[in-house]
Amino acid sequence: MDEIRSTHSKISGTAGVLAGALAGILSVALAGTALAHRLVQPAERPLLEATHLPPLLTTRGEKIALRYDVYCALSEAEADTPCSVEGTVFARAGDTGAFQEIAIRAEPGASDSRYVARLPESIAGASAGFSYYAVFRSEDAGISTTMPAGGSAAPQRSRPLGRSIDMVLGAHSFGGEREADARVAEAAWGSGTAEVGLEQGRNLTPIGGSAFDVEEDGSVVVLDEANKRLLRWQRGAESPDSVPLEINGTLADMSIDKDGTVFVLETTGAHGKPLLRTFTPQGTSKATIAIAGRPSQVRVGPDGPVVLQSASAQWMSAEREGQPVSVSGQLSAGETGRPFSDGREIVILRNGDEVRVALVGGTGVRRSWVVQSETPLAEVQLAEPHGTGVVLVTRVINDDRDEFVVLVLSRRGVVNRFSLDSSDWAETAPLSRFRLQGSSLYQLGSTPAGLFVDRFDLEVE
Amino acid sequence: MLHAWKFFAAFAIAFALAGAGTAGAYHTQFIAQNCNYYPPTPTSYMTRDGSITVALYARNEGYQWAGGCWNDNDVDDSPGDPTANGGTGGEGPDCSGFTFKVWRESEDQNSTAFHQWWRLRHIHGPYLAAHFKAALGAPNYPLSKSAAIKMDAFASDHHIGMIYVPNADGTDQIIEAKGEAYGTNVWTRTYRGSSTYNGVRRLGWSQP
Repeated sequence: MDEIRSTHSKISGTAGVLAGALAGILSVALAGTALAHRLVQPAERPLLEATHLPPLLTTRGEKIALRYDVYCALSEAEADTPCSVEGTVFARAGDTGAFQEIAIRAEPGASDSRYVARLPESIAGASAGFSYYAVFRSEDAGISTTMPAGGSAAPQRSRPLGRSIDMVLGAHSFGGEREADARVAEAAWGSGTAEVGLEQGRNLTPIGGSAFDVEEDGSVVVLDEANKRLLRWQRGAESPDSVPLEINGTLADMSIDKDGTVFVLETTGAHGKPLLRTFTPQGTSKATIAIAGRPSQVRVGPDGPVVLQSASAQWMSAEREGQPVSVSGQLSAGETGRPFSDGREIVILRNGDEVRVALVGGTGVRRSWVVQSETPLAEVQLAEPHGTGVVLVTRVINDDRDEFVVLVLSRRGVVNRFSLDSSDWAETAPLSRFRLQGSSLYQLGSTPAGLFVDRFDLEVE
Repeated sequence: MLHAWKFFAAFAIAFALAGAGTAGAYHTQFIAQNCNYYPPTPTSYMTRDGSITVALYARNEGYQWAGGCWNDNDVDDSPGDPTANGGTGGEGPDCSGFTFKVWRESEDQNSTAFHQWWRLRHIHGPYLAAHFKAALGAPNYPLSKSAAIKMDAFASDHHIGMIYVPNADGTDQIIEAKGEAYGTNVWTRTYRGSSTYNGVRRLGWSQP
């Protein structure tokens, strides 16, 4: 009898164990299925997007047409049958007054940007330029979009160049790069105390030392995002000091204020939303600010950090009087020019193989330059005031080579010009390869061995 | 009472083990649970606007090395996969797989036909970034970078991204699958200027 009881007990115990194990496995499976189901429900959402290259700077007599690309679909499956879109441009002469409504018309035969608004001469030819924004609506999709997103509060601004100082660069001769006056920072790739981290390894695009800045005392600060820190080379020092930062990186840009506050712009924050992180000089976190749109640069403006939004080509304040600005606040205060502490702004427009640069003050364009090149131009890496002129760094390219061309522009034209090796083995934030401090230009470069910062004295009185 | 204790002990152990196994294998589940292997839909034409629209539906999704399948919920459903590991089965394309699908290319490298694969079709295609850079395959041909417009691409030995729109400062907004930490999205880049990148164009666009 005891044997039977014992056997029964063993069977019951085994069954209990099996039932428990089965229940455990089933619970995990059901939870996993539910989670997967929640994760993968694709939303067939309608889509309405517009892009536009604004005519920020215009020349006398130039034909002005505002051209847009518009992408509208009810779902991915209908990508080839775009929904119908109606658009209106609201434009006015100068900065003030009522906007005039101008219909945007589709030009089916246009090879590019087929939504076009043609401005009346009273607006397009206004001596103060014009401001405008566009609204696109799709009744099919039930959505609309405004461009720039700030609408009437922060319209696009187009300015006439006026009497520009024009110059033509001949065909660029590659290989004549200038030697640096000094190498002010240097580090091998790695995670050691005096090394800079390399992201993604050597089988994907190498990313390292994504940005840098130069402080007033000549100290060079590199954002070592892979190792989540700043590396600061005091003037004349061979090895850097390290300041840990709580950052995620992702090709972050960086600028440092005069008081040492560090601004780090992460272009891929949580769920793809960009963030601006601010830190004390010692690396203590001060604020994390959500940033609108698709930012590409952070710089120090007259009242805190300003961020360039690629989607609108506008500079937006991320902080005012030390307080974060909301996303809607950023969008409703976008400006066409990059603001500087002396009240001036710089506006640039690369148009084919031509770069237009304007120094803008309170009454409009104070001085402007048009640089044409026989060799194709890529991006403008830097355009900053230098005395009454401007230092401009742009990239010349052919299909095999590229170099940077540095132009010191004054009212007399080009007063200094030289070429620099691009030295861009590792990728950085897109527009963080150069800094101007006083009369010296600094370049962030890299090779398979490591990273460096070189100084070039501009030798202009 | 003892049996109940055994039940709960077994439940806890099995739950922990199954959970641990699932967690360890979690990132392999996106493709298995969501993606398909349907044949592509042939199309008689392809426009740059239509392909940009296809690409825009991939924004904010993930990145998977050697991958090619994503949904449209604006979330990377398999974040933090080990990089350069095609076996993790996570969400998203890699750079060349994304270009292959957005450019509606064929697995047959001699074909220039247009194949709409749709986002949930798991396919990478036969080209790596370096293949696009070298303009390998019948549908791909080299292009001067200064002539590149929307939906043309810039390709290096390691990466490829397609032009969404040029910026006023001469940079480009590029739509690309950038990496595990980035996912798939539109960012400003200077690929046009970098000599490590070549221009490449898909053959056969209809206007616009």
